[in-house]
Amino acid sequence: MSARLDSLPMLVFLAVLVATLVIVPDFVERQRPRGTTLLNAVLPALAVLSPSPVLAYVLVALGCAAMAAQIRHTARVGAGMLMLAAGVTLLCAAVIAGVGATDSALLLSLAALALRTGVVGLHAGVSSLCRAAPVVQAQQFSSLLAFAVIHLRFVDHVPAAAAVAVPVVLAGAATALVFALLSLVQRDLAGLLRASLLMHGGMMFAAIGAAGRGHHIAALFVALTMTLALAGLSLTVLALEARVGKVGLQQSCGRARAFPRLAAAFGFFGAAGVGMPGTAGFIADDLILHALWSESVVATIAVTVSSALLAVATLRAITRAFMGPVVTSVAPDLTPVERGVALLLILLLLGIGLLPQLVVAASAGLFAVG
Amino acid sequence: MADAIHVALAVVVLAPLVASVAAGSRLLLGDTWPAERGVATLLLLGLVSSLAASFFIAAAHGGVWQPAVRGEVDFGSWIAIGTYEIPAVFFIDNVAVVFSLLGAVLTALVARFSETYLHKDPGFFRFYVLLGLFAAGTQLLAFAGALDLFFAGWEAIGIASTLFIGFFHERAEPVRSAVRAFVTYRMCDVGFLIAIVLAHELLGSTRLSDLGRADELPGIAVTLLGLLLLLAAFGKSAQLPFSGWLVRAMEGPTPSSALFYGGVSIHAGLYLLLRTSPVLDAAPLAAAFGAAVGLATAAYASAVVRTQADAKGGLAQATLAQTGLILAEICLGLTTLALVHLVSHALLRVWQYLRAPNMLHDAHHHAHHAGHAVEPPVQAGARASRRLYLGQLHRFRLDDRLDAAVAPVIGLARFLQRLDERYLARTLGRDAQATGDEHDGPPA
Repeated sequence: MSARLDSLPMLVFLAVLVATLVIVPDFVERQRPRGTTLLNAVLPALAVLSPSPVLAYVLVALGCAAMAAQIRHTARVGAGMLMLAAGVTLLCAAVIAGVGATDSALLLSLAALALRTGVVGLHAGVSSLCRAAPVVQAQQFSSLLAFAVIHLRFVDHVPAAAAVAVPVVLAGAATALVFALLSLVQRDLAGLLRASLLMHGGMMFAAIGAAGRGHHIAALFVALTMTLALAGLSLTVLALEARVGKVGLQQSCGRARAFPRLAAAFGFFGAAGVGMPGTAGFIADDLILHALWSESVVATIAVTVSSALLAVATLRAITRAFMGPVVTSVAPDLTPVERGVALLLILLLLGIGLLPQLVVAASAGLFAVG
Repeated sequence: MADAIHVALAVVVLAPLVASVAAGSRLLLGDTWPAERGVATLLLLGLVSSLAASFFIAAAHGGVWQPAVRGEVDFGSWIAIGTYEIPAVFFIDNVAVVFSLLGAVLTALVARFSETYLHKDPGFFRFYVLLGLFAAGTQLLAFAGALDLFFAGWEAIGIASTLFIGFFHERAEPVRSAVRAFVTYRMCDVGFLIAIVLAHELLGSTRLSDLGRADELPGIAVTLLGLLLLLAAFGKSAQLPFSGWLVRAMEGPTPSSALFYGGVSIHAGLYLLLRTSPVLDAAPLAAAFGAAVGLATAAYASAVVRTQADAKGGLAQATLAQTGLILAEICLGLTTLALVHLVSHALLRVWQYLRAPNMLHDAHHHAHHAGHAVEPPVQAGARASRRLYLGQLHRFRLDDRLDAAVAPVIGLARFLQRLDERYLARTLGRDAQATGDEHDGPPA
């Protein structure tokens, strides 16, 4: 009980963060029907706060199903993936309700996570969302933080967690490497964002695998950083596309003068995602490499190389999207609301990066269940 | 005194960073661009504070106030989880003090110089924000007492360097050069990152003071650690085969070229090896390899410099030759000589870079006083053989060879892209029809 109370501020922080991040893309493109974004935000936030694993998994499944219903006509494969993930999550909840947090519950939870992070071979759903419903994809990636937290809290301590750690880590690292390579040859910014989301999804999956051997805080840092950085990256990409349409990467477009704040924000979020010092990404990268090393040296090297490749792809995207002969635009730079959101995300990334021990201290009792 | 040293160490790193962030945040928050004078004054204030703190630390280290401050200065843990820790520890010794002073003095001088040099340049504001980031990174690098902290400063310098190379981003060539430098940095940083993890696993810590126990490690492990650190240093200090980016880096503004590729950044890799010299001492094979690469780089640059047609290109090759020699000195265990060589080289080279735009004027001045035209340098290569001369002229096609080595990676990426397209075409067929979306293809 005392451990639960100790970790309450952290849980409240995570719940508020998840809700905020899910709402963020709505500032760029308002979702229909009205109220769906609120539902997508509230359900995972409540799941984080839930003291009961069954209720937490049910809420996550409901959130997943709500997103699927919202995009069932525009991104059918994505909706199918989300429905499948919701079904597997519900099944996990049923197993926990029936026999407790067992090995079966862990495997079901991992399966749902693999679908939603887009582990290579299972990434069709995430790809579909990226192409046909990018706002919902941004929201589903943000709500993944809630899923990762309840997975780490409630099932990632069963005996099978240590046994499946290496295969999960390898699958995550392979995903990260494949999509980091793909990020190098994308033709447009949306493609880069897709590759980046999937690469980071792979890193998150690998970190969750390593958590099976006790690296829970490392996994939490990775999930937190990826979610924050990619929420910012998604926001800037959506904002730019809302102003200029599809952004190609085949030639330099010279938009830095027209959108200096957008360019700076894009650069910052891209750099934070690949471990820029001073941001949460630096700590997350450091922690995940140490966590992975004890599971698999090959996975450690793969993730290190992936991060380097994605950094190169991100810089290439910046040079193509924002640098080159100057073009003018009548579209505005980041609006005050977008600027406020970007600033909030930047401050969070810097705050966690400079004072990571606060997160560690606040998470002390978070993973003591079991 | 201990408290004062803590404050001085905090100021030396944070003052330029705070100035840079304060100026940069006006970009995100403000509705108008800040005035040149305000930005320059703010950054100069940060840099001068850092310089003053650096002098204070040097004085404390020199024993002006007893007892002299030496060794680790602990700020606790940046992060600690169980037995794992990133220590927030600084390390004060002769090498750190000298590098800190070198960095602080040169950065402050270049900042003042640039106030006039870049007056009315559209990138004036950006230049100073990046300079603050670079200064903070340099001071963190100088005093870092653990490899993780060192890497944070290392990365800050790398990011600033890349953005300075691509400073004139309206033109294609600077942007291409920036990407090339960044690719080199990141690929070589893979070595550094793995070295950090390996050091932690082998020694239980990444503190520089614990690297002294490297001689207790098995031969293979310490050799691997040494090679990984050398890889990181080769990238940052442009040693063979990663030398190609340095000449291209001259696309940036002259003051940043002077500071980065004459003064501090180009020597950061060498400074890493000075800090981790116990590892090289314990790994003779790695040290021999490093010395061989250093000498090869010096020979390469000495040959190429004779055919360089532009001032900054010639200076870049001259810089390479000297850094190659310094690398060899470090690997041979001559660390004091290497430090003296590094500092004197940095000071001379920064002056030469800053004078480079006046080189024609200087030549005419010399000719006027000498009473005859100054002879052009002897094209030694041309006399030796036409083939050698062409090799020198094309810098022995080093970039082409590196591109050829990287080509299979891009080929693999394109192959994976085709597989992904096929997979998605099968699974997303109906989605693509519904949205009229096209699948991503390889770049033109």
